[in-house]
Amino acid sequence: MISKRWSAVAALAAILPLAACGGDDSSSEATEAPASSAAETTMAPEPGLSGSIFVSGSSTVEPITTAVAKLFGEANPDVAIQVEGPGTGDGFAKFCAGETDISDASRPIKGEEAQTCADAGIEFIELEVAIDGLAVITSAKNTAVECVSFADLWVLLGPDATGRNSWSDANDAAAELSAKVGTDFGTLHAPYPDAPLTVTAPGEESGTFDSFVELVLAKVAKALEVEDDAPRPDYTASPNDNVIIEGIAANDTSLGWVGFAFVEENLDVVKPLQVDKGKGCVEPTPESIASGDYPIARSLYIYVNAAKLAENPALEAFVDLYLSDDGLAVIGTGEGQIPYVPMNAADTEATRAVWEAKEVGTRDGGK
Amino acid sequence: MALATPASHGASTAASLTTELTGSKRDVRGRAVEAVLLATLALSLLILVALVVNLVQRAWPVLSGRLGDFLSSGLDASNAAEAGVWQAIRGTLTLAVIVAIVSFPLGIACAVFLEEYAGKSFFARLIRINVRNLAGVPSIVYGILGLTIFVKFADGITGGRTVISGGLALAVLVLPVVIITASEALRAVPQSIREGAYGVGATKWETVRSHVLPSAAPGILTGTVLALSRAAGEAAPLLLVGGITGLLRTGDQGLWEQITKGGFTSMPVAIFSYARQTGADFQAVTGAASLILLILVVLINALAIWLRNRFEKRW
Repeated sequence: MISKRWSAVAALAAILPLAACGGDDSSSEATEAPASSAAETTMAPEPGLSGSIFVSGSSTVEPITTAVAKLFGEANPDVAIQVEGPGTGDGFAKFCAGETDISDASRPIKGEEAQTCADAGIEFIELEVAIDGLAVITSAKNTAVECVSFADLWVLLGPDATGRNSWSDANDAAAELSAKVGTDFGTLHAPYPDAPLTVTAPGEESGTFDSFVELVLAKVAKALEVEDDAPRPDYTASPNDNVIIEGIAANDTSLGWVGFAFVEENLDVVKPLQVDKGKGCVEPTPESIASGDYPIARSLYIYVNAAKLAENPALEAFVDLYLSDDGLAVIGTGEGQIPYVPMNAADTEATRAVWEAKEVGTRDGGK
Repeated sequence: MALATPASHGASTAASLTTELTGSKRDVRGRAVEAVLLATLALSLLILVALVVNLVQRAWPVLSGRLGDFLSSGLDASNAAEAGVWQAIRGTLTLAVIVAIVSFPLGIACAVFLEEYAGKSFFARLIRINVRNLAGVPSIVYGILGLTIFVKFADGITGGRTVISGGLALAVLVLPVVIITASEALRAVPQSIREGAYGVGATKWETVRSHVLPSAAPGILTGTVLALSRAAGEAAPLLLVGGITGLLRTGDQGLWEQITKGGFTSMPVAIFSYARQTGADFQAVTGAASLILLILVVLINALAIWLRNRFEKRW
């Protein structure tokens, strides 16, 4: 009896390593497969590249870097690559601790982050790789509103908007704001209709949240000379853009913001609004975003650790590919492409020039 | 007198007898309670069925179109058409092995001490209460612990953000559960078994090793395997410790290097990553990955049930 009971322990002990072996076998098969196919199709352009590349940072940029890394891996099967996306801020924390080779960012590096890097002796090369437009959205069923100004967004979504559960609750504030700033931030569309104002938008941890604050609310706050530029806290926050789309679609008179790429795929349920920053209403389109006419757009960056560049040839080859025509072609709205807005020719040239010169430091960030 | 002489009713059925006993009244309250209980059961099952149906529906484009490809493709946060789960399945199994190696011996040893050696002192009671509380601590807290201790402090041993750190964090997470279930199993062993061993002159350790542990083995196994399935479903601690969400290419790293130096991912981490990508294609991938995790966990639980039925000892 006893030996039979012990066999239970033995059975479990035997099953677990077997399970592990199963996993290991599939690993070796799957790593061998791409290796052999790459060897068949092309001689790798820079044969013998090995080592490892670790990319962390913005979850917004993660798919772009992932797509480029796949491309790179096909030609350089011996290079180990890890891509993750815990967020721009977390990414810089790891980057400035020397843990990562490249940091993806959906905003330029902040002054304090650059200082942390400098204190740790880490120099970086800042490279713009794409543009992401933020879209202010409402339900596709909402026909009452076509255009919002920065001033409208301040009274509907700004720090003072807390508790405004109907659009018309903002009417008094709109009159007040209009008296203070005039039409510097576009024409106010008050009086607003008496309709429920339900707000769904990215949460505080999201780069899209930061960008909305920086691009919209901070500008109005500065003109008003108030400190608080955070959005009203009483809205439905989600880190998942699909959840935000669902939240906006669920209410006819909803309001919120989200990355432009997510809107293009959901035009049947949500409607992107035109935005006015004092120069008239501008429709968000790939063209108006790339040209800079549309006021709520942000650049996406990668930050490359300059010291690691010198000691890791694979890293230089990787960034070379990233900024090549092949690399940047992963961005677009086609099948299998990453739906952001490509840079225009001038910005692409500027980025490549920075990379050619290995120019360290930040041009857009540091604030 | 009628009660004492049921024979006088001749061939009357049990139903008519009940009617006679309770008068002509129906048992309304009894029936109502039965109906409510049945309704709650139906509701629970309905939720489960709705979940599975929803998952299958969501996952259908992947299940019908490219199931084999999906099972053999790696992690990929850029293109739903090429995304898969083999790295995640492999990561989850590797994590399970580490959890088993670390938490089972440790947890069972703790349980043996608490049940067989510690007695009923104040100190032992304090520890038992604390272990129970630890089992209820949110998993994210264990993630922070794992990040501080295994990734930052002990990176010389674990290699930093590796599958070893992840496995250790999960092992610590399930350790209280293992201790509790093993304790219960040991407690269920009748005292007479121990007395029998003592009676033939066995020492305490001989009694535990040759009588108590073998008798409790089925219960311990069931509990520990269930702890494994909990570990398999955890995402939060792994995200903190460094589960990879975007792409994981191992390059020319050997197996040992992958484990000690390379990154790792797991099923829940992959599901987290796929769920936040945009587009209906990724929703299908998320659904399919969730379904596979569900199947994986059911398989682990089935193993636990099989072990219990196979080796269960009735006293």
